[in-house]
Amino acid sequence: MYTPPPPPPPSPPTRRALLRGTLGLGTTAALAACGGDSTTPRTSGDVTLSLWTHDPGYEAFFAKGVPEADRATDFRYHLKVTRAGAPDIVTKLLAQAVAGRGTPDLVGFEIASFPRMLRGDIAERLLYDFTPDIEAVPGLKDDLLPARTAPFSKDGRVYAFDSDTPMVVYFYRHDLFEKYGLPEDVATWEEFAEAGARTHRDHGASMCVVSTVGSDPAQVVQSFQMLLYQRGGTFFDAAGNLLLDSPEAEEVLRFLCDGLRSGFVVEVSDYYGAGMQTALKRGRVIGLPMAIWYKNYGLVTNVPEQKGKWRVRALPRFGNGGGVTAALGGTGFGVVKDQANTRAAREFLFRTWLTHDGQVRRFTETGYLPTRRSVFDDPRLGAYTDDFCGGQRLFRLYRSLLPDVPPFHQSPDQSILYDVLGGNLLRAYKGDLSPRQALRRTVADFRDQAGR
Amino acid sequence: MTTTVAGPPGAARAHSARGREEHRPRRAWAPYLFVSPFYLLYVLFMLVPVGVSLWLSLTEWVGLGTPHWVRLRNYRLLATDISFHRALGNTAVFVLVAVCLVVPLALLIAQALNTRGLRVRDLWRTAYFVPIVVSPILVALIFGLIFDRQFGLANAVLRSLFGTGGVDWLGDPNLARISIALVMLWRWTGYLTVFFLAGLQNVPRELYEAAALDGAGRLRTFTTVTLPALKPVTAFVVVTSFVGAAQIFEEPYLLTGGGPAESTLSVTMFIYRAAFQRQQFGYAAAAAVVLFVLVFGLSRLVNRLLGIGRAAS
Repeated sequence: MYTPPPPPPPSPPTRRALLRGTLGLGTTAALAACGGDSTTPRTSGDVTLSLWTHDPGYEAFFAKGVPEADRATDFRYHLKVTRAGAPDIVTKLLAQAVAGRGTPDLVGFEIASFPRMLRGDIAERLLYDFTPDIEAVPGLKDDLLPARTAPFSKDGRVYAFDSDTPMVVYFYRHDLFEKYGLPEDVATWEEFAEAGARTHRDHGASMCVVSTVGSDPAQVVQSFQMLLYQRGGTFFDAAGNLLLDSPEAEEVLRFLCDGLRSGFVVEVSDYYGAGMQTALKRGRVIGLPMAIWYKNYGLVTNVPEQKGKWRVRALPRFGNGGGVTAALGGTGFGVVKDQANTRAAREFLFRTWLTHDGQVRRFTETGYLPTRRSVFDDPRLGAYTDDFCGGQRLFRLYRSLLPDVPPFHQSPDQSILYDVLGGNLLRAYKGDLSPRQALRRTVADFRDQAGR
Repeated sequence: MTTTVAGPPGAARAHSARGREEHRPRRAWAPYLFVSPFYLLYVLFMLVPVGVSLWLSLTEWVGLGTPHWVRLRNYRLLATDISFHRALGNTAVFVLVAVCLVVPLALLIAQALNTRGLRVRDLWRTAYFVPIVVSPILVALIFGLIFDRQFGLANAVLRSLFGTGGVDWLGDPNLARISIALVMLWRWTGYLTVFFLAGLQNVPRELYEAAALDGAGRLRTFTTVTLPALKPVTAFVVVTSFVGAAQIFEEPYLLTGGGPAESTLSVTMFIYRAAFQRQQFGYAAAAAVVLFVLVFGLSRLVNRLLGIGRAAS
């Protein structure tokens, strides 16, 4: 039987063929990677919204809002949620925007991360401008609290809706105030400081707190910021100009520095950490000014056994002027523009986040206060009692504070201010700089670094 | 039964020769194919980013849209930026700590661990090596608790021993630098010890015997036998410590965030802050280029001084 010789082995590819093949594969991969998502707008039907947030509370809120949004719009919503750290959300959003694909439809910006969106024309390029929609809904513009749209606005245009009206109030230990004979209705900070110095001398307890955590300048700044805003001062105007070098700022910083000397104010390394927990448990801190969300994130988590012993009141006034509250914190939800789901995301946000019932539900589920003035009059909220605060009806207080909530603006250079101000505040607390010197040096350092 | 009909004479030889010819091109491109993954990755993840950084450093870019060409403006601004100068100064301090404290201490510990008759040697080695495998987040958490001004362990110990303990470890600029240095010591010494230990175990025993016969004491043996024998290892450890400390990020970022008042801000933190907190990518790229030039230049200098790569005479 004849067996033919084995066929010659297949000839190996030439170098040129190999190069061509590699180039072809590379080009195909590059084209596939560069191809953007479809931007043909969806107007109805099934839609899967990509939601990015740092807080699982928002995820749950929006998930529960889907049926409500389905009923009110032509869409049938599904959510695809991505959770990441607050600063990482902005970083990832910009990276995806540069890549031209993979951007979310709905994004939650923690307030301290939003200034990054204000740099250059990032907000205008990337985010949907809600201003015309606000004007199109009858009564909405007047009902939305300007204090909560200002931080997420640029040049008068609103790019995100806040999750909260985080009023600053005074938390205090009702039982220890009674025990130490401290009146609960002191009208001014100055009187409060006198009583606080006596309390520290007699009982080793402090009635106000400043954070000195060197690793988190934003937290160091917060202690000062709350009282500055209450006093009527601010960091930036609407155009982003620094307004720190003011009599109000100096007065507030001097008040804190004097309080530290007398013991009325105590330093804690971190509002949320072990140091604060120990101070609260030992009764070294019996009161502090803080935003209302601190009850859930600072007090309930650190001292749950003190349930029923805490109370909330308005901040005492400064003798020289200002209001009885401030605002601190928040998270703004924005919609990425020019995408297939932009309209769907916008309608979803309006039908869940901004409706009257949606804002009531947001409070009951997340504890965040409404951002629409009218919702504060809702009887369901009025009937709400807080067990941690001894059954107080807090909405009566919140309603009374509403006119005093100050609007504030953010600047793309905010993180520069926080870095330089944080360091100089610490120096002033230690007595290395006078309040005046600390503020002047901050302004000088800021001017040196901003705009680079 | 199978019959195989042989081909004409000489066909096998011709076929074999053809085979060799056909195999030659394969042999020619095979080496390139084998080394290509490295070069492809090297180009993609090293040369391209370095090139892009260089180009970006000559622009102003917020992270979106088209970068705006500004020539050398970023470098000029860096030259007058107090914050950058502070970061350079702090980084220099960290480098000095790494090279002048961590490296000698690692050598001493390695020498101690190499002692004959040491009991539970493996336990000691493990104990010294553990810090490097602990997550930096955990390290920051633990040292944050230790250095807490009011309720920290360090102050509690000082209070119980000396009756005073209000030291602001992380809040005072100078003490914050010292705290970071202590964390560096704790974290890196054990790791470097392993290199020295490996080097010590390779020093020929006869050299020690000869030194002993010559009447050399411990110190003399260490300086004339151990240290010269460890020169290549020492050179490697010094250069890697230098490069690592020049790019220090985790310790100050997690423990002090660069504060207070930028007293622990390192150059890599400065770069991170400019890019990812302030959206100044061009400026960050310029700082990165400056850091690269400094680290590259100085490590070349150290290489030359320590004679790395030169054949032993």
